[in-house]
Amino acid sequence: MGQNEPVPFLLLIEDDDAIRTGLELALTRQGHRVATAASGEDGLKLFKEQRPDLIVLDVMLPGIDGFEVCRRIRRTDQLPIILLTARSDDIDVVVGLESGADDYVVKPVQPRVLDARIRAVLRRGERESSDSSTYGSLVIDRSAMTVTKDGQDLQLTPTELRLLLELSRRPGQALSRQQLLRLVWEHDYLGDSRLVDACVQRLRAKVEDVPSAPTLIRTVRGVGYRLDPPLQ
Amino acid sequence: MTDPQTPPRRRRPWRRLRSLRVRLIAVFAAVALITAVSASGIAYWLNRDAVLKRAQDTALNDFRVSLTRNVSDLPLEPTCPELAYLAQQVASSGLNYDVVVTDPAQPGCAVSTDPSRFTLQDVPQALQRAVATPREVGAGNQYPYHLYWQRVNLGNRPFLVGGTKVVPSGPTAYMFKSLEDERADLNTLGWSLAIATLLALIGSALLAQAASSTVLRPVRRLGEAARRLGEGKLDTRLEVEGGDELADLARTFNRTAESLSHQVEELSAREAQSRRFVADMSHELRTPLTAMTAVTDILEDEADSLDPMIEPAVRLVVSETRRLSDLVENLMEVTRFDAGTAKLVADEVDIADLIMSCIDGRAWYDAVEVDAPRGIRLMADPRRLDVVFANLIGNALKHGGSPVRVAVRQEGDQVVVEVRDSGPGIPEEVLPHVFDRFYKADKGRARSEGSGLGLSIAMANAQIHGGTITAANGESGAVFTLTLPHTPPSQEDAQ
Repeated sequence: MGQNEPVPFLLLIEDDDAIRTGLELALTRQGHRVATAASGEDGLKLFKEQRPDLIVLDVMLPGIDGFEVCRRIRRTDQLPIILLTARSDDIDVVVGLESGADDYVVKPVQPRVLDARIRAVLRRGERESSDSSTYGSLVIDRSAMTVTKDGQDLQLTPTELRLLLELSRRPGQALSRQQLLRLVWEHDYLGDSRLVDACVQRLRAKVEDVPSAPTLIRTVRGVGYRLDPPLQ
Repeated sequence: MTDPQTPPRRRRPWRRLRSLRVRLIAVFAAVALITAVSASGIAYWLNRDAVLKRAQDTALNDFRVSLTRNVSDLPLEPTCPELAYLAQQVASSGLNYDVVVTDPAQPGCAVSTDPSRFTLQDVPQALQRAVATPREVGAGNQYPYHLYWQRVNLGNRPFLVGGTKVVPSGPTAYMFKSLEDERADLNTLGWSLAIATLLALIGSALLAQAASSTVLRPVRRLGEAARRLGEGKLDTRLEVEGGDELADLARTFNRTAESLSHQVEELSAREAQSRRFVADMSHELRTPLTAMTAVTDILEDEADSLDPMIEPAVRLVVSETRRLSDLVENLMEVTRFDAGTAKLVADEVDIADLIMSCIDGRAWYDAVEVDAPRGIRLMADPRRLDVVFANLIGNALKHGGSPVRVAVRQEGDQVVVEVRDSGPGIPEEVLPHVFDRFYKADKGRARSEGSGLGLSIAMANAQIHGGTITAANGESGAVFTLTLPHTPPSQEDAQ
């Protein structure tokens, strides 16, 4: 991390005291500013008051659970959310990704791994170049890091935006799920391809005219996904 | 009953039923045969006696009466023609029999009513002697000479021959009465009885067949029910009809099935309970482990600046926490396989790429030789296959020693991955257990680095792909062979 970079401000929502304390310690030590909440309700309140850069969210919470917290935040905000789940195979992951989470880690998680994921997610929002490209009614402005459709600003999470940018950098070229996992999620080794699928679904819901019959982000069977310039 | 040898198809149950049936029929037939034959035999002999006696008595009486009536016409010293006349008279007045008359006073004079059929030679010697011998006259015997008779066969035809002295010192008369009619009657009776016996036999066989069917049908039902029970359908029950021994047997069967299904239920409930316990336990362990893992990095980073007395303790806590979290991770994986909740996230993968990245990711490059042609692609869950490769190669490095050789080849519609090590191989008695949970080949090294679950998890991961892993000893060490189909059985395509 460079000297001038602002310290990332995280909100950790976790009901177990020991885990909350341990992760707070570890993340603080990794150089983050951490606010904590012990329940979904407290977390939502704290989120509105303090506007963190990123949320680390436990799935199993008393009262409103992690998925619901995720959904409520997504209604208004597009900040990155990382889920803390119990099992990697579980329905938890699928539901969590469908509720709008950007990434997930499985307990017990090594702080190094969590930190790497946090930094990767935060990097997705960084602007890179200053050109823009147009796909039919869709305009991707790389300098402003905005996407408009028919002149309307689209609310994309940093992950969705990065996925669209990576696909639009190679229009017409199919990218495999593992490639996308490396490019967007920075998972260096065997990431979970469900992350890509869930994110593509969310992105399609926002950019496609008819999300169930996509014309921009096409599935290439057996390979992955591809961004097609629309037929004129 | 004809019983052709049954062909060997549908062998055992049918043959057994058949032999029981045959035995029943044989017993029934034997009983029927003995009963019918003895009954008809007795009936035949009684009838025969009665018929013959009546015919005989009638003929002999008639002969006697006729002889008495005609003998008065005979002169004291009769001539041969007179005797012939007597014979004629006796024969014509009586019941259709022939008469032969002889006189010891005139040797050579033996007259017959029909010499072409009967002569004196036809009269048995014994009868002639009996007739000629006088009996002592006493209280119980009024006359010295009696009427004697004998049944003979002349030219295969039955005859009654009777003879007596016409007058005490005079000529002797013999009569020949045909018993042809009686024989015909008796033959008819015999045939009727034989037919009746045969009918009784057939009837008994049919009866036996019916009886055996009523016995064998429930037996067959019982057999089928037992087979279904054996196939694991524990709710199989029999309908109990009546109160006979077979109904008892059916009731016993039902009770047995009942208690069996109870026991199985109990056992599986207990097993489910213990599995749930392991699953719950590992979940419970995970919470403190997550907190501990969260701070291990801090401890590790600070270890260098700690008191040299404290530092090893801190390092021990850090390394054992990681080991514990690996163990819990594996335990949870196992419980997921046990509960059937493990899911396959299949993708099209290049097997060579997967193996290379597995080796790369774990920095095993120097110790492993890979012979994997690129371009062998299959539908599989890359993360699960990575677990399999990591376990097989890691196990080979740990127990076998380098160099470890990994070879990939295509066999039909299957992909085969061989992992060979250069170690001493696996002892024969250990081979069948290498995929068992917590089975440590080396008892002396009970606390090895592994969790004891690695190979069983690898096996479960291969099986969820529809594949398998086998372990064997090659020329220079252990060989683990992973076989995978190109497409997993219930493909869950990730899109």
